[in-house]
Amino acid sequence: MKRQLNRYLQSDWFGPLLITIAAIALVSWFNPSFLSPFNIQILLLAIAVNAIIAYSQMVIIAIGQMNLSVGAIGGLVAISFSGFMEVWSIPWPVAAFMALSVGLTAGYINGLFVAMTGISAFIITLATLSIYKGLNLGITEATPFYKIPETVKALGNSNFIEPLPWLVLPTIIVTFCLWYLLNRLPVGRFILAVGGNEHAAELSGISVRKTIITAHAISGFLAGLAGIMLVARLQIGQPTIGDDWLILSFAAPVIGGAVLTGGHISVAGTLLGVVIVAIITQVLVLFNVDPFLVQVVLGLLILWAVGLNKLREVRAARSMDELGAGA
Amino acid sequence: MIRKVLLGTCMSLVALAGPVSADSSTKVALVPGGPHPYFTAWEQAGMDAAKDFGLASADYKVPQKWELGAQNQLLESLVTQGYNAFLVFPGDPVGTVGIVDELVGTGAVAMALAGCLRDPSEAVFCMGTDTGNSAYLGTQQLLKSLGGGEGRKIAHFTGFLVDANTKLRIDAVEQAATEAGAEVIQVIADIDAPEPAEEKINAYLAAHADEVDGIITTAWVPAVVAANALRKIGDKRIQMVGIDHDEVLLQAVKDGFVHGTMLQNPYGQGYIGSFAANKLREGCTVKADAPFKSNALTDKFIDSGTVFAGIDDVDDYVTSMQSITKTLFESFESTYLDC
Repeated sequence: MKRQLNRYLQSDWFGPLLITIAAIALVSWFNPSFLSPFNIQILLLAIAVNAIIAYSQMVIIAIGQMNLSVGAIGGLVAISFSGFMEVWSIPWPVAAFMALSVGLTAGYINGLFVAMTGISAFIITLATLSIYKGLNLGITEATPFYKIPETVKALGNSNFIEPLPWLVLPTIIVTFCLWYLLNRLPVGRFILAVGGNEHAAELSGISVRKTIITAHAISGFLAGLAGIMLVARLQIGQPTIGDDWLILSFAAPVIGGAVLTGGHISVAGTLLGVVIVAIITQVLVLFNVDPFLVQVVLGLLILWAVGLNKLREVRAARSMDELGAGA
Repeated sequence: MIRKVLLGTCMSLVALAGPVSADSSTKVALVPGGPHPYFTAWEQAGMDAAKDFGLASADYKVPQKWELGAQNQLLESLVTQGYNAFLVFPGDPVGTVGIVDELVGTGAVAMALAGCLRDPSEAVFCMGTDTGNSAYLGTQQLLKSLGGGEGRKIAHFTGFLVDANTKLRIDAVEQAATEAGAEVIQVIADIDAPEPAEEKINAYLAAHADEVDGIITTAWVPAVVAANALRKIGDKRIQMVGIDHDEVLLQAVKDGFVHGTMLQNPYGQGYIGSFAANKLREGCTVKADAPFKSNALTDKFIDSGTVFAGIDDVDDYVTSMQSITKTLFESFESTYLDC
């Protein structure tokens, strides 16, 4: 029994789950409207998109790298998607497919440069961030695309079952696919192996280059998917989509137990990290925090959540050690 | 739609501008603080001014992001590209003073546009919306639509906290509400980007829609998002006054989800600013007794105008914007310049 409990305590998702449950109980006690169907819908909409953004970074963290261009790719795909529909009158499913190809290609280019040059992904994606954002501004001249088809708007703002919005469907599918990929498919294990020890992975026959390119391509695809989902949700192809993604994209995986040096990530933990950040963001609004202090409080709460999770990990590891010594 | 507005404004101003002067060596750069739909009218304004006044060029140059460093780098690179007149939205009212002083040191003309620098600075003047006044008038319109302010509760959604205008807007809304006996029960700021605006405004309405009588928005994106949110929840009980002329907002006014919007005049700022920059480079000087207004940042402020457009005016808002620009342009040279 104690071993079972310790196994849960050691898992990445357990701490964030406890924090999430405690936060929901506490906030809804102070403000019952927090659990109203409309508010649940608003929360789920935020979580649905933010989870994809976080996954996009999580895949790169898994190989021990960083992708600073996640937001720029998302923005480029968002304006491509809306631009294809407005300027060329392309049907939305085709436009979505083409726009996702843009995201995939952008990620592939990132991976190709990192793998071929050996230059740090931090530097490469810093440069491509500028290129992708520049393309975005060059195409839009900072003016949004407005003519979003009603179907797309409806997908971004209506529910398939009250209060579950349509946008949670792609997130559920992606969450499952990523879990399956990372835990059951060779390519997922390669990604984690390269992140854990690149040299050892290479010696065991894994193509590090291919793995890096694959991870970046997946990251680009996911960033693009988030961009498309945001167009549907915002009902507008805003060139600034993606500008605010960077902090969230790192915060959620880290809260969820990801190791920034690579090799260890948790899909469930990252999802719960997104939930925690979404709840914190809502709490600041619901409790009318002074607008000039919002950023400070947000930062402190994220720090608290990360710290709490770290503390849990340390205690769980100590407890396992004691158990081991006892045996 | 925006293109049509600008084209219409341009056509009316061509007649006002009169004969095109001899070709000038003035190269104007219109530089906003970062990408934002509000400033896109500057591009057409610059092109029209270049054509109407015979400027070498008047180009709209956008920093890639809202960051002082990015704007400063862009401005420095524009000097090396031969630009000699700068119309700048300050990335920071104090932080941008240094780079503007440097630009003037190279012999260029510089002015603050749409937002002001804190005095003292080498900028010849600041031309923009009297943001405090616009927020104050907008709040008054909102309270009027509620049948008076006594006991009313309103929420205020506004823009970037790094923009000095935001504090002016918050204070002005508070003042107008207090004077009318209303209460500002919540201020949500730093949401002049779609994602945070969507998340926070919807969260607020989900929890507090029953407690609020009216909404005043004093930044572009929050106005659009709040208009969409009111449409989504289908609540016409909550009155709202927005800002600017985004298509989504104007449609919400027409459909009765938003009471009206406070129009600003970005086209006029770019057009008249380019005209003034050229005049100053040709040897005109700013009048010693020019009737500048004062605001919290500067004593050299020119109000580019603001006007309320409700459901009856929204179809004709182009005329309202043209009228503001026309009035300011007609008397600009004689009022502010010695030539």
